[in-house]
Amino acid sequence: MSAETSREPRSSGPLTAVMRWMENLSDTQFAYLLLTPVFVLLGAVALYPLLRTFELSLYLTQLGQTEWTFIGFRHYIELFTGQKDPILPGSTTFLPRSLALSDILSSALLVTIIFSVVGVLFETVIGLGQALVLDQDFHGRRWARAAIIIPWAVPIVIQGMMFFLMFNSSIGFLTPPLAELGILAPTNTLNDTASSLFIVIVADIWKTSAFMALLILAGLQSINRDLYDVAKVAGASKWQQFKYITFPLILPTIGVAVLFRTIQAMRVYGLIDAVAGCETVPSLSCMVVTTFLHRQGTSAAIAFTTAAIIGAIVMGLIAWQGEDAI
Amino acid sequence: MTMTTDKDNPDSGLLRRWVQYAIENPRRVYRVLFYVAIVFFMVTTLFPFYWLFVLALTPEGQLLGGGYLPDIELFGLSTTFPLPVPQGFNPEAFIAVFEQLPFHLYMLNSFVLAISTTVIVLVIASLAGYVFGRLEFAGRVPLMLAILAISYFPPAAFVVPLFEAFTGNTPIVIPFTEIPLFTPPRLLNTPGAMVMPFSAIFMPLSIFILTTFYAQIPDGLEDAARVEGTTRFGALFRVIMPLSAPGVATAAVLTFISVYNEYFFSSIMATSPDAANWSPIVGGILSFQTQYTTQYNLMAAASIVAVLPVVILVLIAQERIVSGLTAGALKE
Repeated sequence: MSAETSREPRSSGPLTAVMRWMENLSDTQFAYLLLTPVFVLLGAVALYPLLRTFELSLYLTQLGQTEWTFIGFRHYIELFTGQKDPILPGSTTFLPRSLALSDILSSALLVTIIFSVVGVLFETVIGLGQALVLDQDFHGRRWARAAIIIPWAVPIVIQGMMFFLMFNSSIGFLTPPLAELGILAPTNTLNDTASSLFIVIVADIWKTSAFMALLILAGLQSINRDLYDVAKVAGASKWQQFKYITFPLILPTIGVAVLFRTIQAMRVYGLIDAVAGCETVPSLSCMVVTTFLHRQGTSAAIAFTTAAIIGAIVMGLIAWQGEDAI
Repeated sequence: MTMTTDKDNPDSGLLRRWVQYAIENPRRVYRVLFYVAIVFFMVTTLFPFYWLFVLALTPEGQLLGGGYLPDIELFGLSTTFPLPVPQGFNPEAFIAVFEQLPFHLYMLNSFVLAISTTVIVLVIASLAGYVFGRLEFAGRVPLMLAILAISYFPPAAFVVPLFEAFTGNTPIVIPFTEIPLFTPPRLLNTPGAMVMPFSAIFMPLSIFILTTFYAQIPDGLEDAARVEGTTRFGALFRVIMPLSAPGVATAAVLTFISVYNEYFFSSIMATSPDAANWSPIVGGILSFQTQYTTQYNLMAAASIVAVLPVVILVLIAQERIVSGLTAGALKE
């Protein structure tokens, strides 16, 4: 390596000149130079669209017309007062009209929140269970871990197809027994909002518990094993060891994992689109996708509201974790 | 068991004896509970794959006939067999998948998109990881927080302007002004319209993984290379990156899987689910769902074919995935 590289300064040409110029930069200048590609990419594909989304949400756009009218926050006001509801697909509303179950289930905002909260709650419990199992030493642990991770790696469209095929009312063998218990609608299961929401949540739990399990497992493995020896000497039972050592020590990890998963769950779109369709289970991202071709302003307003809700959770996370968040 | 304890015969002490034994040997009970838990988790995670096989192997004519849960005779009792079984054996569905639609082309599109995104992300994230992991400079923490914050935004917050830009009809304008920058080419239905958003949304994770790994290389090694006369780039690409090969592999595997699994932009930026429009497996599988609405065996077979690459990747690169998700994602 040295023979080759020591020749570099002596050769000439534009490339060498650039290299020599770079060698003379200060650390800060060099840092920003290397970060340029990141800035360009994130600026073009993330920052610009974000600002532009906010700008669009303040205008009345009409199909085929380039002139826009500035209307301020009217899209947002109409969204929150229910005047936008007629242009959302099916009988969807943004906020619920009343607190009756059918109204709650046709509200895009509440369906997204129910999906996230219920899903993440069960994922945390199941993920904790999986992590506790994987933390043990046993024969075939590697294979068990692989089996538990695989759902995490399954493409969303295939995850959707699996649950579509399991609960479809014409072939899904799981529908009749669950319909007898009153959990699912016996016919047209995937056109019924309550049933479909249940199925979509189960599908999400199936796929993402593994992610939760891996994060909690990392927390479990960082616990000092000496603590358990002390506990055993003191005569603590397994349950007491869990309650007084394991659980308090992994609680911060669980907190971060829960917030992180909630942020991801709030974006849900693909799973719903593949299993039941956006008219049946309205989520916020679904509303953006179904309106953006013809009503850019409204779509942008919904998109920005979604981003703002997630942004508020993120701010909470960063404020709570501080620099440790990085 | 409860039945036997009710009766007053020599067996009556069975439950009591078992409980007594359990109290004396709590470890046995934990062992049993542990195996019950592990079997439960294995069955629940793997069952959906098994159901896909059941449907894929069932001939088309038998699909709607039901009877997936057959009644069997067990010790003279008629019970329902707890696992569904295929209604026949028809492996031709796995060939029909490629005949009815060019499913291999959808798979190829997915691979091309995933590999090109991975290469772009690795190059750009390596530079950023080097900067964040090894250089002290003003603005390091705020910049990392900004990248972190961007990674949290939902794709829906980007899609409206990106779709408008990739349509290529109107010039890009600096937001909140009327200053036009340039008119982009029409990128819809090309790899560019997908690779660009993919790179942006999956790059932050790779940046954080590589930052962690690059920061661990001792300064002495880089200094030695620099004393030998390497340029700063030379030190990054010939010393630091090779020494952090596990980190680079982790970032590559996670990016590849993320792109292969992506749904949102994959379904929107290809305006029709057509392999010629660079539609990836999302388009292929949804086409089976919408065009061949009753051929559930083909949907199942296509899903099995398309899921194989990631299953193999998980089995090979399990350690990398675990370390990447825990080291990188706990920070995200």
